[in-house]
Amino acid sequence: MDIRSRALQDGRPTLSIRDLTVDFPKRDGAFRAVDGVSLDVWPGEIVGVIGESGSGKTMTALSTLRMLPKRAVVSGSIELGQRRILDLSPADMRKLRGDRLSFIPQDAMRALNPTMRIGRQVGEPLVLHRNLSFKAAVSRAVDLLRAVHVREPERRVEDYPHGFSGGMQQRAMIAMGLALEPELIIADEPTTALDVTVQAQVLKLLKEIRDREATSILFITHDLGVVAELCDWVYVMYRGRIVEQGSVERIFMDPRDDYTKMLLASTPTLFPREAAI
Amino acid sequence: MATAAGFDFRRWRLVLLGGLLVGIVLFAAIFAPWVAPYSPFDLDVAKMLQGPSAAHWLGTDELGRDVLSRAIYAARISMQVALLAVTVGLVGGTLIGMTAAYFGGLVEQALMRAMDLLFSFPAILLAVVLMASLGTSVLNAMIAIGIVFIPGFSRLARASTQAVLRQQYIEAARSIGMSDIRIIFREILPNITAPLMVEAAVAFAYAVLLESALSFLGLGAQPPDPSWGNMLSTGRGFMAQAPWLSIVPGMAMFICVLGFNLLGDGLRDVTDPHMRE
Repeated sequence: MDIRSRALQDGRPTLSIRDLTVDFPKRDGAFRAVDGVSLDVWPGEIVGVIGESGSGKTMTALSTLRMLPKRAVVSGSIELGQRRILDLSPADMRKLRGDRLSFIPQDAMRALNPTMRIGRQVGEPLVLHRNLSFKAAVSRAVDLLRAVHVREPERRVEDYPHGFSGGMQQRAMIAMGLALEPELIIADEPTTALDVTVQAQVLKLLKEIRDREATSILFITHDLGVVAELCDWVYVMYRGRIVEQGSVERIFMDPRDDYTKMLLASTPTLFPREAAI
Repeated sequence: MATAAGFDFRRWRLVLLGGLLVGIVLFAAIFAPWVAPYSPFDLDVAKMLQGPSAAHWLGTDELGRDVLSRAIYAARISMQVALLAVTVGLVGGTLIGMTAAYFGGLVEQALMRAMDLLFSFPAILLAVVLMASLGTSVLNAMIAIGIVFIPGFSRLARASTQAVLRQQYIEAARSIGMSDIRIIFREILPNITAPLMVEAAVAFAYAVLLESALSFLGLGAQPPDPSWGNMLSTGRGFMAQAPWLSIVPGMAMFICVLGFNLLGDGLRDVTDPHMRE
């Protein structure tokens, strides 16, 4: 039950993080936000990183994108395919972002530029990384929006973000993330700002993308329900460390770490199990 | 939006009133050769210092020139100086402010302290000093007034940029591999134009006043070229015999400055989200 099936099929993980440590210098010593984290995402796998606010899950994601605040001190290694992310020059890193590696942020409404039409924004990665003209990029954006089930995409590319509902804005962000068929999508709580029905649609869409494009997804969340719905493999983070990892089934049926047990016990369910702690 | 609920006259009334006054001045300035009844330079010593009459609506000056015609041509110079000065201030200040806010650190310190230095001089004094070193001409007046405006625009641009930088769409832009320059001009600039435009309208009024002040002091437009400032300066000597020599350019300035101030205030109210019901 706890065997990582995809790891057995394929030789190399898409993303491999080893001993990642992120420190924020303070006047007295340093604050350690991420403490020796190691994790893998295999091709076509959806990996959840779950933990409470401040557990270091977002810092881990931002390290992979090299988008941490300037004062953060990072050590360890992060490999995407064969590339050692932490050793790349800023220019090479910029070429990677949005191309091989894309990011879906938490709040789509605030992640879209209010002064730019949807089509232009969704097509932007193609302009940046494939030298497409804006016109060509917008016509590709129509296809991308159709692929994430936005109705009447031909008309919708002309809209500004405020004309989109929350769920549609998140779809547009996902379309932007998919534009160049990345190896890895990092999604940082992409459904937190959405209501439950829309949330379910977005999760279904992410699963569908994984099945269609075999994209790996690193999914950051604090929501156990979402993890159960979506993920193949789960890492539980607490205070900057990974306290437990395993398949979704195993984590839910047989949690071993005390923190995981607490996390599971704190989720209201219709048929409460006996608290194991 | 105003368009959805029909035109909201109350919200736009200041803009309309200001726009009307500014429109009158601009019309006079652009079409001066057709609007003005006489040439501003034609001398007629037989008719000097005559009061308002059917032939000369606003009287004649000490050399028998038509005061109305001179005031209309003076609008030309004022508008030219104000337009170029505000452009210099707006472009220079915006570039400096955006650069400072975006890169932060030493760059920001160096740029903003230089701006503080410029700001610490009273505007008139700074303009006079610049004119003294550049030499007296209308072009130099434009440059000097433009430099006076740079610190104000740079502070506004910096503050607005800092607010925009906290937005998630900047992070999103970075996550798709956008370069710094592109983020500054495509993501930040369109989102800070509203406050800059309001400031530009107010600066326009101030530029008209400054130009008049410089001409009054003999540093701007040189006789016989008409300017409201040098007309006032001459009129001062004939206050008792021919008060219209001072009243006419004074009123022209009043209308012009009031127009731009109303326009600026109106635009601020219209673009300010807090003022929307």
